[in-house]
Amino acid sequence: MPMKGRFPIRRTLEYLQKGDIVLKNRVKIMTVNYNTSGELSDGARKFVFFNIPQIQYKNQWLQIMMFKNMTPSPFLKFYLDDGEQVLVDMEGKDYKQISQHVKKILGKSEEVLQAEAQAKMQASNPANFGPRKYCLRECICEVEGQVPCPGATPLPKEMTGKHRARMAAAAAQE
Amino acid sequence: MSAKHVSVHAKWIIGRVIGTKMYKTAKVRVTRLVLDPYLLKYYNKRKTYFAHDALRQCTVGDTVLLKALPEPRSKHVKHELSEIVYKVGRVVDPLTGKRVEGTEFVEPLTDLPLTLKEDSTLSEKLQELNISATSSDVDSPPAQTPAS
Repeated sequence: MPMKGRFPIRRTLEYLQKGDIVLKNRVKIMTVNYNTSGELSDGARKFVFFNIPQIQYKNQWLQIMMFKNMTPSPFLKFYLDDGEQVLVDMEGKDYKQISQHVKKILGKSEEVLQAEAQAKMQASNPANFGPRKYCLRECICEVEGQVPCPGATPLPKEMTGKHRARMAAAAAQE
Repeated sequence: MSAKHVSVHAKWIIGRVIGTKMYKTAKVRVTRLVLDPYLLKYYNKRKTYFAHDALRQCTVGDTVLLKALPEPRSKHVKHELSEIVYKVGRVVDPLTGKRVEGTEFVEPLTDLPLTLKEDSTLSEKLQELNISATSSDVDSPPAQTPAS
């Protein structure tokens, strides 16, 4: 049973995750003005059809707004955090050219993306202890060769907090 | 006890004015694309914000850029009007700076002289266009042929 729609591959998670435009944190709003008819606006229409879902998937907090048939020429406008606005002309361009241009001017570079991926790999970082969902181990008592969990076997008298407190009180009294 | 007075989450938003009947306040509808979890398609989800408009310059239907206020002004008003992006009925094309109505210009463009002389040779036509290496800011003409 095939999927419904013209290019149903756009509606797959794999396609969405394959999007490579991750915009910089400064970019807050993206506005796309394009026309529904006309050959010059063809690249813009394809950009909206194919690439906008990928961009929104990768930039969850970016507000994207589409405007149709407002101006004779298609363009993109980005609104940055410090009030700066970036205008990108889309007239007569191919949708692949548009996406590459956007990636070049306002996209995060490969190094930055890899550094962020590294930082996020805390689930596989053996130095972190925490809930099973986020880390490998929950407590150091699980590691071979470390002090076993006091819940399983009682600690020797000298290591209990009670004993240590009594010793510290006795030493302070003297 | 400062949970109520946290700074506003959305710093810059763009939306459409839907009401101006409040005193110096514009009601703005903001649409964001939200992924439907089953269909995996993006749909517009609306949310209304109230924005402080000190000069009462908004009319219903304007597209407006809002900036978050450092402190919420009242229980609902947390943004202020930063600029009117597209004024309804008086849209200005950002590329040319001229007024635009739908996909047509209000006044036809006059920077390229459209001469209909059939008998002038190609060199004369090139001279008319007055292209030279020293001419300043050669912008792309409005009707760019699609690059293959």
